[in-house]
Amino acid sequence: MAELSDVQNQTIRDEIEEYLERPEEIARFIELFARAKPALQDIAAAIIEGDDDATDSLTAQALADGIEAIEIMDDGLIGGMGIVGIKFRENFVFVPEVLSCARAMRAGMAHIEPILSAAGVEKHGTVIMGTVKGDLHDIGKNLCIMMLRGSGFDVIDLGVDVAEDTFIDAVEESGAKVLGMSALLTTTMPNMGRTIEAFIDADLRDAVQIMVGGAPVTQEFSDDMGADGYGADALSCVAVAKELMSAVS
Amino acid sequence: MKIDGMDRAFMVIGENVHTTRALLRRNKRVTTDADGADVIGYVTGAGEQRFLPIPEVIKATQDFQEGRVKHFKAALLQAMSGTAGAQAEGIGYIQAIVDKQEAAGADYLDVNVDEISLKKEEQIEAMQWLTGRVQEMASRPLSIDSSDIDVIAAGLAAYDGRNGPAMLNSASMERPTALDMALQFGAAVVVTASGASAMPDGAHGRVANATTMIEAALEKGIPAKDIYLDPLVFPVSVDPEFGRHCLDAIREIRQRHGPDIHITGGISNASFGVPARKYINEAFLRLAVEAGADSGIMDPVQNDPNAALAPGTPSHAIALATDVVLGRDPDCKAYIKAWRKKELA
Repeated sequence: MAELSDVQNQTIRDEIEEYLERPEEIARFIELFARAKPALQDIAAAIIEGDDDATDSLTAQALADGIEAIEIMDDGLIGGMGIVGIKFRENFVFVPEVLSCARAMRAGMAHIEPILSAAGVEKHGTVIMGTVKGDLHDIGKNLCIMMLRGSGFDVIDLGVDVAEDTFIDAVEESGAKVLGMSALLTTTMPNMGRTIEAFIDADLRDAVQIMVGGAPVTQEFSDDMGADGYGADALSCVAVAKELMSAVS
Repeated sequence: MKIDGMDRAFMVIGENVHTTRALLRRNKRVTTDADGADVIGYVTGAGEQRFLPIPEVIKATQDFQEGRVKHFKAALLQAMSGTAGAQAEGIGYIQAIVDKQEAAGADYLDVNVDEISLKKEEQIEAMQWLTGRVQEMASRPLSIDSSDIDVIAAGLAAYDGRNGPAMLNSASMERPTALDMALQFGAAVVVTASGASAMPDGAHGRVANATTMIEAALEKGIPAKDIYLDPLVFPVSVDPEFGRHCLDAIREIRQRHGPDIHITGGISNASFGVPARKYINEAFLRLAVEAGADSGIMDPVQNDPNAALAPGTPSHAIALATDVVLGRDPDCKAYIKAWRKKELA
């Protein structure tokens, strides 16, 4: 089993030591970074520091040095965002900082994406996002979208006040495997359940994994209406999206 | 309330009589009593330490397992349907919140039961019950707040006006009929700058929507002094431009619509996602008042308007928070750094 001292990058070692508390997470990240190439540890460190210029140049350099795009994405970019997500969950970092990390991630992905798509490699996949019918609130949804994009997902943003049929059409047209619905009002929350019903009626419930969120939404409500996942905040949204995406692929 | 150095009164719409209000379970008020039951400590207006038992339905939620407790919802559930002892604590808890809001200068008590239940009938029942009780406990008028117009109607009907005319929170382009309801009940009304099918973009969108709503309200015969315009406050952590959008809109709306209308807003929305939210709220409030606001939908216990609006040079913390609100501290870097170094207090 790898030890912390096997991780070469000082920043990453400090981050693991200082901010990670759960044993399984410590083990997972030590294992990841102990085997990750030093250049990719540097990229992960740049992501954690929210340094988009460094992420940009280090990613370009790693590609020029012949490292595979997918390896750079998995070990460097996604690895770095993984630590950011945990720090956010534990209140060590805050929304504006996480947004700067997501920006750095996108700077790196800008180099990776064209290579992956030219090679026909799927990245994380596509997520459809929208605020349900009758509800105009979009800040939380947009924050989720920034985080999803910053974590390597393609996102189709349907905006606010989205009718059941619009969600269904978007799933049919795009073939996206994950759909996220947001609601900020107790009056509009039931429209999440109605949208899920509409997917059942359209015989498309099995075509898509559905996640929900928004200030008044709870795990219990999500379970009751038959959603596949619930996220309490923007980074849980990313974690749930990853989980649901891996359930279908 | 009267603020030193301000010509006009600053109208506080106290927002703590809300089922959305949450406490972290690690807060020392969330504890266990001598029998090991989960309780929330509170102090009555007379200074007595009491304990509200947390209802089982709240303890069973994942939210509670993960460390949060909706404390006002707990009080309301106990007050409405708890066993005798728990019911008294529920009522005592609500009374303590009302007392604190009023002592801190609330001009209206904003009452919201949206999260009591997803069923409209239960929201209506809770609104009727709470309005009936709070009007007895309070000396200030109530602001009836819901995302459902029928729940607002039930609250306005249940309020007997003993503390002065009510407030309706809120009307907007997506809910214009609320203006007629305000007129019918002789209530003041919060009108928001929300669009008919989207949230406003930037300052211009806010001013345009606000103008539509203010003109509609005046046309219906609602006096300017009963109009409380909410330009919509968005979190500065999400976009550094958001603070300026709102402040520029306040300035323009005040200029365009004169001194008689009120300009308010959900002050604490500004600080979502940032640590030490209090200073961001205070900085935002100062800037909003400077721009022409004369009211806030806020918790005056957490953010004392008199302290926030005191004349004189702002503290180091407020100066840093002001940079955040005005978009001069991208990603709140300097502010969060100062917070980490414990330089804000």
